[in-house]
Amino acid sequence: MSLTKNLHPDEKYKAGKLGTTMTLVGAAIVASMGILSIILGAAHGDHFKRFLYAYVIGWSFAVSLSIGMLWLVLLHHLTRSRWSTVVRRIAEAMTGAFPILWLAGLGFILPVLFGYQDLYFWANPAAKADPVIAHKLSWLSPSFFALRYVIYGAVFIAISSYFAKKSREQDESGDPKISVTLRRAAGPGMILFAFTTYLTWLDILMTLAPRWYSTIFGVTFWGSGNIGAFAALGLIVLWLQRNGRLVHSINEEHYHDIGKWMFAFTFFWAYTAFSQFMLQWYGNMPDETNWYKYRMFGDWQWVTIAMLVGYWAFPFVFLMSRWTKRIVPSLVFFAVWQLVFHWLDMYWNAMPQYDWTTISHGSTTVNAGPLAGPIAMHHVGFTPVDITCWLVFIGFFLMGTGRGLKGNLIPVKDPTLGLSLAHEQL
Amino acid sequence: MSDAHEANGNGGDADNGHEPAANGALYGILAEYDTPGELVEAARKVRDAGYTEFDCYSPFPVHGIDPAMGIKRTILPLVIFIGGFSGAVGGLLLQWYCNAYSWGWNISGKPTWSIPANIPIAYECAILLAVLSSFFGVWAFNKLPQVWHPLFRSDRFARVTDDGFFIGIEKADSRFDADKTKALLEGAGSIATENIYLDPDPENKKMPKWIMGIIIASTAFALVPFAIAAKARNSKSSEPHIHIFPDMDFQPKFKSDQANDLFPDGRENRGEITNTVARGWLEDDEVFFHGIEHSTGDAGDSWTTGFPKQYPDSPALPPDLRGAPFAVDMKLLERGQNRFNIYCTPCHGYDAHGQGMVPTRVRAGGGNWDARNLVDPKGPVVQMPNGQLFNTVSNGYAKMMGYAAQIPAWDRWAIVAYVRTLERAQNASHEDIPATEQGSIK
Repeated sequence: MSLTKNLHPDEKYKAGKLGTTMTLVGAAIVASMGILSIILGAAHGDHFKRFLYAYVIGWSFAVSLSIGMLWLVLLHHLTRSRWSTVVRRIAEAMTGAFPILWLAGLGFILPVLFGYQDLYFWANPAAKADPVIAHKLSWLSPSFFALRYVIYGAVFIAISSYFAKKSREQDESGDPKISVTLRRAAGPGMILFAFTTYLTWLDILMTLAPRWYSTIFGVTFWGSGNIGAFAALGLIVLWLQRNGRLVHSINEEHYHDIGKWMFAFTFFWAYTAFSQFMLQWYGNMPDETNWYKYRMFGDWQWVTIAMLVGYWAFPFVFLMSRWTKRIVPSLVFFAVWQLVFHWLDMYWNAMPQYDWTTISHGSTTVNAGPLAGPIAMHHVGFTPVDITCWLVFIGFFLMGTGRGLKGNLIPVKDPTLGLSLAHEQL
Repeated sequence: MSDAHEANGNGGDADNGHEPAANGALYGILAEYDTPGELVEAARKVRDAGYTEFDCYSPFPVHGIDPAMGIKRTILPLVIFIGGFSGAVGGLLLQWYCNAYSWGWNISGKPTWSIPANIPIAYECAILLAVLSSFFGVWAFNKLPQVWHPLFRSDRFARVTDDGFFIGIEKADSRFDADKTKALLEGAGSIATENIYLDPDPENKKMPKWIMGIIIASTAFALVPFAIAAKARNSKSSEPHIHIFPDMDFQPKFKSDQANDLFPDGRENRGEITNTVARGWLEDDEVFFHGIEHSTGDAGDSWTTGFPKQYPDSPALPPDLRGAPFAVDMKLLERGQNRFNIYCTPCHGYDAHGQGMVPTRVRAGGGNWDARNLVDPKGPVVQMPNGQLFNTVSNGYAKMMGYAAQIPAWDRWAIVAYVRTLERAQNASHEDIPATEQGSIK
């Protein structure tokens, strides 16, 4: 019983060709599902509107995973965590997906920039007639929107690549001062990260419903993303171990901590999502409750109930137990489960805005945009392109992550590695 | 003393030299170890030798000590879960009893039994009971407090709160054998071992009086609010209520309609000073501010039938209205509609038939009352001169209160214009439709 351990002499911690394999698998998914998505999107006959909605949902899903892991890396340095040293390199690899995801995101940014009016209602000339949206249009203009997109991407890529690069440097030099440097950088990095994350979700997902107000949306979204991020981390670690890597270094103690984070954010998401709902329900202001009106009644109420039960109640009750998190198959079950529901959360946030309503005043017809008109006209309208676009972005995410899985899969000269290897839950 | 002899006869030796004089029966053997790591190794050896009645003592939690000692995982989490669950259910029941059952309370039209509003309280109650279960559960499962515990009779053991790591094996263990047990502990690397004896006087095996005193006193004190509440529910009192912040309850300032010795008339109210008017309150345009037309003839004053000719050039008005001509145009009517919809519709309704939300609610409660129908062609409002209608908006009529305080005069005129518009719209004839459109409506 000692507090530190050395890396097991037989440990395989070199990535070898695994990263390339992951990238190729990802690329194959992107290519096949991408073509299928475009065909399905074109067949939808709505000028790619459904396709672009599904595309934004898929993009949000994949980006939220990288954001969650960037947060883990920052938190690791900020708090001098010990347990996470063994999985930090994998988390860094997952943040390596930022560049390719931001490139892929141009798939919906460029159309908006060049005048596509059916994705974001604020980009539609009809939005000017709505007094609530009209005064938000100084922020919501296509060019400024695209500029902000570039800035957010630059910030995420800068922070993530800096931390990944310095971490690799330490593998070479073994200089413990690098840990101190990263710890100092993690504080301001976390603040910058928080603002950028918040604004990214405000811009990409929340402005799909431009009339709506909520100040907690970015926080809720980040919490939801972290559920998915830790679930994805657990699955990737398991995949590496199945391929013979890190089998001696990562054990159920570390899985337990990944499970704890999943559990914590399952509750965090429910807490903030309910806060948002309850305050708006209680305040009963039309500008706010309108967003929930279309989710609490009609077709969408079943998705809302599914979220409440599947994304919170069921995993909350079972992840509470110590053994659910320590027995790897059960953790894997909940990781897959929560990833599916994380996608459903994105879907639930974005897709109710898909149906736009036109309202007639005598001879004139006005485009009232999303979340307007009778509730019965708004259907979940689940279509195959929703799924294929999601798979496209899982592919993009794997491509980006595979790029980062190279060289050492564990920070071999990190001063806290010994403590992390010997990590035990009390 | 016979117990002490018996204990010594059972193999207790005095090699450490400072054994207390008065000892009871042997309790067990205490061994000290140098580091937490050695403590864990020693615990493992004791466990492997088959002992069950032993415990480890350290200043801080030691990783891996539980499996090393071979003790089962605690059921404390289950107790905490049950506590938290009871808290959530109890919190919901409390709110159901208070808000929905015992004393229904309408808060912004929400149902009295309304789950979303109850979640925060239920959540806090769940946390409270989970934490209390955890706190008291730890005490109970560890059978604490035991201030009479025989280990406290050892001077060496005092260092357990600082830097000492100990294993104590109790004589109650079936495998206990004074010599073999001691050899086992020493073989596991102890830096010292010591026999521990019970206190010979069984009277000492109880909680000290002062601790019991504190527990009883604080429990009694915690019941005081409940006692006061119970008394208040079952008795009447003519005493004035307690003023916790008297300087907030009795502020040294003058309030309206109070007596005061300072002034000769004994009132706190000070009337307006003769021949003065407060800034912005000079309402010298009788038509605009009161709807009254002065007549030079015998008829005297009368309600004005038209609208003011222009806005008075008074600082009471917004700058863009001062002195401007009063035009009954679309802008004025839209302003009137806006103000009407805010201030008048709760009773009179959007169509001015007198069936707004308030009468609707009265009917829902079994009552029967409508506000005045403002557009009834046989009703009094249609016949009223504009000035009288303006006066009614300003000063109220019967159940209706005056709105002069909320709505400035220029907006009241806009409302008058809008009410006239509603009357016209609700009582329109076929000829009122423009000739070009008449054909489209039958």
